Amino acid sequence: MSKAAIQRLKERFPDAVTDPYEGVGGDAVAMVRKDRVREVCRFAKDDPALAFNLAPYITAVDFLGSDPRFDLVYQLSSTVHGHRVRLRVGVPAADPRVPSVVEVWKGADWYERYCWDMYGIRFDGHPDPRRLYMYEEFVGHPLRKDYSLRGRQPLIPERVVDEAFRGPGPAGRD
Amino acid sequence: MSKETEQILQNPAPPADALDAPFPSKRMHVNLGPSHPAMHGTVRAVVELDGENIDSMKLDIGFLHRGFEKSCENVTWTQVFPYTDRLNYVSSIMNNVGYSLAVEKLCRLEVPERAKYLRVLTSELHRMSDHLTLVGAMGLELGAMTVLIYCMEARDILWDRLTEIAGARLTSNYARIGGVARDMPDGWQDKVERTLVRVAGLRDEVDKLLTRNRIVMDRLVATGRISRADAIDYGFTGPCLRAAGEPYDIRKASPYLVYDRLDFDVPVGSNGDNFDRYLMRLEELKQSERIVRQCFEQIPPGDIVVEDYRYVMPPKPQVYGTIEGAMAHFKIVMEGIQVPAGEAYSCTEAANGELGFYLVSDGGGRPYKIGVRAPGWNMLMALPAMLQGELLADLIPTFDTINMIGGEVEQ
Amino acid sequence: MAEETKPSAPATAPPKPAPPPGPPPPKNPGFVTCTIDGREAVVKPGTNLIEAAHAVGVDIPYYCYHKRLSIAANCRMCLVEMSNAPGGKLMPACQMTVGEGLAVRTDSPRVKDQQRATLEFLLLNHPVDCPICDQSGECKLQDYYMTFDHLKSRLDVPKVELRKRVELGPLVVLDEERCILCTRCVRFMREVAENPQLGVEARGNHSFISTFHGQPLDDRYSGNVVDLCPVGALTSTDFRFRGRVWFLSAARSLCTGCSRGCNVFLDYMKETTFRHRPRENEAVNQDWICDPGRLSYKPFNDRRLLAARLGHGPGRPAARAAAVAEAARVLKARAAEGTLALLLSPVASLEDLLVAALVARDGLKISEVHVGGRPDGWHDDFLKRADENPDRMGLELVAAAFGFTVKPFADLARAVADGTVQAVWAVGAEVPEEAAAAMVAKAPDLVVQATNGGPLADAATVLLPSSPVPESDGTFVNFDGRAQRFEMAYWPRGDSRPHWALAGELGKALGLVARWSTAREVFEDLGRRVADRLGDYRWDSLPSVDRRKGLVPLAAGTVDGRLPGYRERMPLDRSGNVEWDRLPNP
Repeated sequence: MSKAAIQRLKERFPDAVTDPYEGVGGDAVAMVRKDRVREVCRFAKDDPALAFNLAPYITAVDFLGSDPRFDLVYQLSSTVHGHRVRLRVGVPAADPRVPSVVEVWKGADWYERYCWDMYGIRFDGHPDPRRLYMYEEFVGHPLRKDYSLRGRQPLIPERVVDEAFRGPGPAGRD
Repeated sequence: MSKETEQILQNPAPPADALDAPFPSKRMHVNLGPSHPAMHGTVRAVVELDGENIDSMKLDIGFLHRGFEKSCENVTWTQVFPYTDRLNYVSSIMNNVGYSLAVEKLCRLEVPERAKYLRVLTSELHRMSDHLTLVGAMGLELGAMTVLIYCMEARDILWDRLTEIAGARLTSNYARIGGVARDMPDGWQDKVERTLVRVAGLRDEVDKLLTRNRIVMDRLVATGRISRADAIDYGFTGPCLRAAGEPYDIRKASPYLVYDRLDFDVPVGSNGDNFDRYLMRLEELKQSERIVRQCFEQIPPGDIVVEDYRYVMPPKPQVYGTIEGAMAHFKIVMEGIQVPAGEAYSCTEAANGELGFYLVSDGGGRPYKIGVRAPGWNMLMALPAMLQGELLADLIPTFDTINMIGGEVEQ
Repeated sequence: MAEETKPSAPATAPPKPAPPPGPPPPKNPGFVTCTIDGREAVVKPGTNLIEAAHAVGVDIPYYCYHKRLSIAANCRMCLVEMSNAPGGKLMPACQMTVGEGLAVRTDSPRVKDQQRATLEFLLLNHPVDCPICDQSGECKLQDYYMTFDHLKSRLDVPKVELRKRVELGPLVVLDEERCILCTRCVRFMREVAENPQLGVEARGNHSFISTFHGQPLDDRYSGNVVDLCPVGALTSTDFRFRGRVWFLSAARSLCTGCSRGCNVFLDYMKETTFRHRPRENEAVNQDWICDPGRLSYKPFNDRRLLAARLGHGPGRPAARAAAVAEAARVLKARAAEGTLALLLSPVASLEDLLVAALVARDGLKISEVHVGGRPDGWHDDFLKRADENPDRMGLELVAAAFGFTVKPFADLARAVADGTVQAVWAVGAEVPEEAAAAMVAKAPDLVVQATNGGPLADAATVLLPSSPVPESDGTFVNFDGRAQRFEMAYWPRGDSRPHWALAGELGKALGLVARWSTAREVFEDLGRRVADRLGDYRWDSLPSVDRRKGLVPLAAGTVDGRLPGYRERMPLDRSGNVEWDRLPNP
């Protein structure tokens, strides 16, 4: 059933969805071109035969030394049909920008922030492109293969917090 | 500026009765800091309040980020198990089982029957302890401390049983690639029976204390609501999704281990509010008990690990007595098991929802990448949307019922 | 004549049948095309089947086969299904050459069962020695067991007990219980070392490897049988019990014992070198090194000079910066007088010599160089050269590039003796002759850069500690004019620095601009002057090595501080961060 889903995606986007294959244990996987990700995902969600309504699990893999360097993985699943599909997007190191799918599934939000934080992959159109786990002043992207396991970070100056609660004050002021 | 303040500024003349005058208010930022008893597992929430209503909420996570994925890339496949324990640390066996299922998928290994039953059994016992933790913490934060004590007692006796089989109360490290670590000790089945009876008794007490309680119902019913469509769009899974009305359970939709041979029901809610999520947990406690009893009836005798020395350490008499055992032991410990190159995603129904492991292997003894799909993540992500316009006091039970465990969300 | 009767052809002879059709023409003329596991292999005629399979990525297991030795085919591990086998038998791949159109299967159930069974038989009497066997971690029994036979033992009788520690020779120890009688050692000694000191004694089940009674295995290439032995039967007395192979990392280095520059792996852990293993280089040393070369790593660890010193003999220890300043002062003064001589050692690398020459010419106005080095040693017609200095050719190239006149060591000794030379700057303290060295040691000012103690180093008035081969990158040019690269294993120990760094510091103290911080920079900057004589040598010319065995470390280093180990090396700088531009090509 998942293979049929891949077939349908491939028929609809013959140039964007390429190299479908069956992975270990029967996983249905296909490669997707980086710039067409949003369209493919929207179709995957809206098409009644596919109905991948659950927000996907998005993660990235760093194949240091390969081209494209990063492999962005979207694990889609459907509560309607119960099938699962994996979409892999090759992201080159030179241009790590991918269209965001937050407008397709609201739940893709933090996964994309995680990919930015950990791998340095930017998502165009993301409403809140901040780091997720690390503090903003963090240098580097930790899950990249060339980030040292025992890497040190520069000391950062204390952040100026300008949203501190100042107390009630008399009514009418600020 | 709030509506009332605008009114005051536009009509500076006070009304006749000062008591009826509109009350000026302004936005207040409250920081529910990472060190907060109600923010389970160090999450920082900066809440912008309009009076007592939450206008917007910004979540700041990462305080418990321990570098799970990066650490796992540096150890062998079998050394990852203690790391997985500490993901969802309240139901750690489910993490172990989820990870070992993913590795076995990559290795194309089939686990013996007895091991499957043992995995399901202990997973369900840990699911019960997870739900008990949630109900207890929720009761405590609503002011019902007795409920906490009852749930902790129930959880504690369950953990005693788990200590007997796995060796530890919390971080069990019980599953192995190819099976489980230890078999049931003698007399364990009877002890578990008695424990289940006691847990059921405590659960019923908690039910009586909370479910028709006026205060609890006022606080939980219709708070923290999320619609079914939104829940799916945010990627909710598990009890939170089912509370919103979507009957999706991986144990029924794509059964793994022996769930297709067990008879149990999946409770489904309708409102998607805190009360439904709380009731889901109580119902699931009952169902888990059923599963455990059926496992005890059905469990066959046999091996608890697959007998393949490429993946499983040989028993010690063979390690010391035969050359094959010695070599296998050396290679597994020093080089790690050689998982064939490839990638696999395997998911299980953990206590909180769909726990997925995405593994990439380069054919060597260490994982190339381990990605964890933590079930609590999606619920946490949806929290600001769920609490839009709600009272500040509703934040606390909502945080409780979505069961965000810091370990799995922040890895 | 018209009615000559021709004899008629006998009517009963049947017409000659047409000759059978010849073999079809080869698919690729000049080559042999065969199919191994479905993959097409196009190789030269006469290629061994194991090599042909390797060329297409199929690894056939073997114990007794070695590509440089004769075929014995006694281990039976390489049995494969071949389409031209008589009677459908499984044939040993090591003994077969490829034929046109041959179809070979190495992954059929029959072959897999055969491999499993062979391994089971080999393991039947193998002692449970893994905890005490040096071969653990590089043992083919262990590796093949995990791949081809992962089942438990079926043996229910005690194993055979034999002699466990037979000292065959000064470097080799035999453990008869571990031996699988592949006879690689016997064939090596007979064919490669051409000194048949090993043989198989007795017959059948009672066979064992042995030397002739009363004779030791003392050939100078006997250490190679330790590398050849696929199990832990032959072990090196030098390395025995000294370290676990799993924790050793390997740097691609060169032996410094003679001017051939045999390629070796330098196995090290933290800051200690544990052994030399030969590295394959078809042109230089094939797969072999001599025993003295195998042991030539010892000076890298023992009796090293790790701190600078001012004054003769015990003298007083000094910080290196202070010693360099003092040396610069002395050398400048003596150079102004014209009584300074430069002594270069042909043990130093090309980079060392280039920097020293530059500093000498530009900073000290020196125009002639004396050559030190080790005295000539034994030689043979196999690997060892008489000249025991790895870089004599390099020194000659540097001298030519900088326009120096080259003078022998004896000249320096005479010059010191009659006072024309009052100061010597020695880059490398190896001396070819004791008496002359004693004369040189009497020079009033002796600035010596040395790695170990010796006559010159002990007599130095300013001693600068230098680092040997594992502590720096560099190039040696061998007797053939072949430039070869060696790579750094660990950071310079103590206060020592490579010769080029010390010379650079001296140059800076003399007023020259010091502009190199790695040996690579030295080569890129100064190596241009000799590059035309180095052929097609490139700095990044180290061949790749097999990296997949064992725990391939995380690209970014290890979590517990332990070095990556197991034939891997990730260059870490002093803070523990990976230096990505120094990573050897994968």
